[in-house]
Amino acid sequence: MNRFWKISAFTATAAVLAACGGNENGDENAAAENGGNGDNNGEENVAMNEDDAEVTDLGDDDADIELSFWLFGATGYPELAEEYVEENPDVSITFQEIDMEDHHNNLFTSLSAGSGAPDMAAVEVSEIDNYKEATDQFHNLYDLGAGDIEDDFLDWVWEVGADVDGDFQLGIPTDIGPTVMFYRQDIFEEAGLPTEPEDVEAEIDTWDAYRDAADQILEATGGPMADNPESVFNAKRDQAPENYFNEEDELILDESPYVRSAYDDAAEMIMDDHIGNFEMWTPEWGAGMADGDYATLLAPAWMQGVIKDNAPDQENWRIANMPEGAGNWGGSYVTIPEQSDHPEEAFDFLEWLLAPEQQVKAFENMGLFPSTPESYEDEAFSEYSDDYFGGQNTARIFAEAAEEVDYVYKGADYGDVNAEILDGLFNVLDGADPDEEWEDILQRVEQRLAR
Amino acid sequence: MAEPKHDYPNDTNIDEKDQKPSKQPGSDTPKKRNFTQRQRNIASGYLFISPFYLLFAVFGVFPILFSFYLAFFRWDGLGPMEFVGFNNFAIIFNDPLFWKSIYNTIIIGIMGTAPQLIVAILIAFALNSALIRMKSIFRLAIFLPYVTSIVAVAIVFSVIFSNQDSGLVNSVIVFFGGDPVTWTRSEWGTKFAISAMVFWRWVGYNTIIYLAGMQSIPNDLYEAAKMDGATIRQQIQYITIPMLKPFILFTVFTATIGALQIFAEPHIFQGRGGRPEGISVVLYLYRDAFNSNAFGTASATAIVLFFIIIIFSTMNMYVTNRIGQPAKRKKVKA
Repeated sequence: MNRFWKISAFTATAAVLAACGGNENGDENAAAENGGNGDNNGEENVAMNEDDAEVTDLGDDDADIELSFWLFGATGYPELAEEYVEENPDVSITFQEIDMEDHHNNLFTSLSAGSGAPDMAAVEVSEIDNYKEATDQFHNLYDLGAGDIEDDFLDWVWEVGADVDGDFQLGIPTDIGPTVMFYRQDIFEEAGLPTEPEDVEAEIDTWDAYRDAADQILEATGGPMADNPESVFNAKRDQAPENYFNEEDELILDESPYVRSAYDDAAEMIMDDHIGNFEMWTPEWGAGMADGDYATLLAPAWMQGVIKDNAPDQENWRIANMPEGAGNWGGSYVTIPEQSDHPEEAFDFLEWLLAPEQQVKAFENMGLFPSTPESYEDEAFSEYSDDYFGGQNTARIFAEAAEEVDYVYKGADYGDVNAEILDGLFNVLDGADPDEEWEDILQRVEQRLAR
Repeated sequence: MAEPKHDYPNDTNIDEKDQKPSKQPGSDTPKKRNFTQRQRNIASGYLFISPFYLLFAVFGVFPILFSFYLAFFRWDGLGPMEFVGFNNFAIIFNDPLFWKSIYNTIIIGIMGTAPQLIVAILIAFALNSALIRMKSIFRLAIFLPYVTSIVAVAIVFSVIFSNQDSGLVNSVIVFFGGDPVTWTRSEWGTKFAISAMVFWRWVGYNTIIYLAGMQSIPNDLYEAAKMDGATIRQQIQYITIPMLKPFILFTVFTATIGALQIFAEPHIFQGRGGRPEGISVVLYLYRDAFNSNAFGTASATAIVLFFIIIIFSTMNMYVTNRIGQPAKRKKVKA
């Protein structure tokens, strides 16, 4: 009898462990599908993915030039680079792919320690300003010939990869995250709003119109227009010409009208029940995409993958331009650390990898949205249609959005300030007074910037 | 190749006769004969244990000392370090969030560990009693949560303690007529949920330790007690707990340190690097170091935490050391 129980207990454990293992793989896939595109809030995704780095070696072992390239997310670059290595037999490239948080920690540590950094390293847009504080750790890509390819890229994207004066180019842009309005056709219909993207864009062309639509939806369905305060606030903030710091890195949170008005508008929409309580990356938020718990998502191109994952059978999501212009949310740059022994060769490879042609392929393979406007003229774009979004040419809409974005200075402490504002907005959602909360935010920000 | 082979028998000869440096070796291998066998034994001994000490020095001692050093500098990790004296300590002591994080850590520590240790003793007693069948499977089941990843636990619990009205716990509360709780953003909701996570994950670990302790208590004591008509309560109070003292000391000690170092649960559960309701000291310093790149204040916080842990451990040692004593005295009187 005892023996029987021991065996069955052992089997049960084995089954549980096997199930855990299976889950891990599942997460890896999920992370891969929406990864690589800078979900800087996706800590849960990242944290679940504890698997080791994926290493790909390309080219001849005896090649004269051995390059290393650290990346995160699912870029498909190793597959893409096979062609390059074939044409350049003297070069071999080792790719190390790992999750986003670990990637940046590794890069940070190797730079700080002064050894161990690769020849090429991706840096996510939300992290890049930290590295601009240490330009002596990187090669100035202008010295390597970046001036020749500058015009291939969207101006604002290129500018984000440079220091404030614009004479030190830290990274070459890879993909970007132009923002649009995802909306639920069925909810719009129920509320008597237009349902086709062109009509929606014509009707909801200002934030006031967005609020009016929210009123109609609340009345007809009782549900909120937006998922959470974060998305509404982000959308408006990213349309502003300045954010939290000026170019001298002074905090302008209290003086600049733009952030405050984005905050106030989000707070007002909270009071009017137009904004839901579905915090990003929570299970309810994902489930809400399938169940129609909110009518719109103000989000970037990479959100397509997240929506498809969370609501695979939903047929009602459509994409329209955001009212009053687009912003950018996510994307990456590739840098060449100072420690690299082969900066010229690394640059030559990057020049090839991130050229418009290859960016079209990365878009076709992995959905990375190109930072090179020339790519948008490609057939892959003009002929594009996505059945999930009712056969819409979604690529066209994102391309339009990408060209609408303006450069805005963020600064190294941007993330800290942003975190405090988001905390504040959720406090308002839980019933705090918006004005008092704003004062609290200013105090908390001051505390954090003191260190 | 053949020559070294010749050497070996020579060496063992020396070994058997203890040290005899006088036996001059034939002049064919005069390389390292300056060491006595004893010295060689010592050297090889150190060589054998050196991997641990080397690794410990690199990954243990150095970071500890370095963070003491860092606490007096302002450093963003990439740029130059700037000596600031005690300014980092001044910054954190003036930060209300730092005090809040200490308060949170202590409250969550008490809510998570105290009930857990008590329940663990009761479960262990139940598992140890003759009344329960299928002991192995219960033992295994109670221990299983311990082997799960904290991250997975936190994610599962954030589904259970969902903010939505339709969340598992909230729907139970609503069913009984209560108001739904915003678990991830309310003062006590957050603490309760995090404590529940700690409780669930660690209760089995402590149960198994207590169980091992109980099995080392001779059965005659219980039999004698039963003969004298002791109730189960009295058995626990006068036999089990006093005899378990070393085990209780151990668990209280580890649980205290663990509770003061709580990190992953609030980090994952609240998302976005934590919020004031659930931020713990370790999360506070993590946020400084890895979100704000302020390694100076993070190190200062770590040092403060180091002293807090010493103080709490000493206090707990003192208190738990007294556990068996009053009971013994009563026993003598009886």
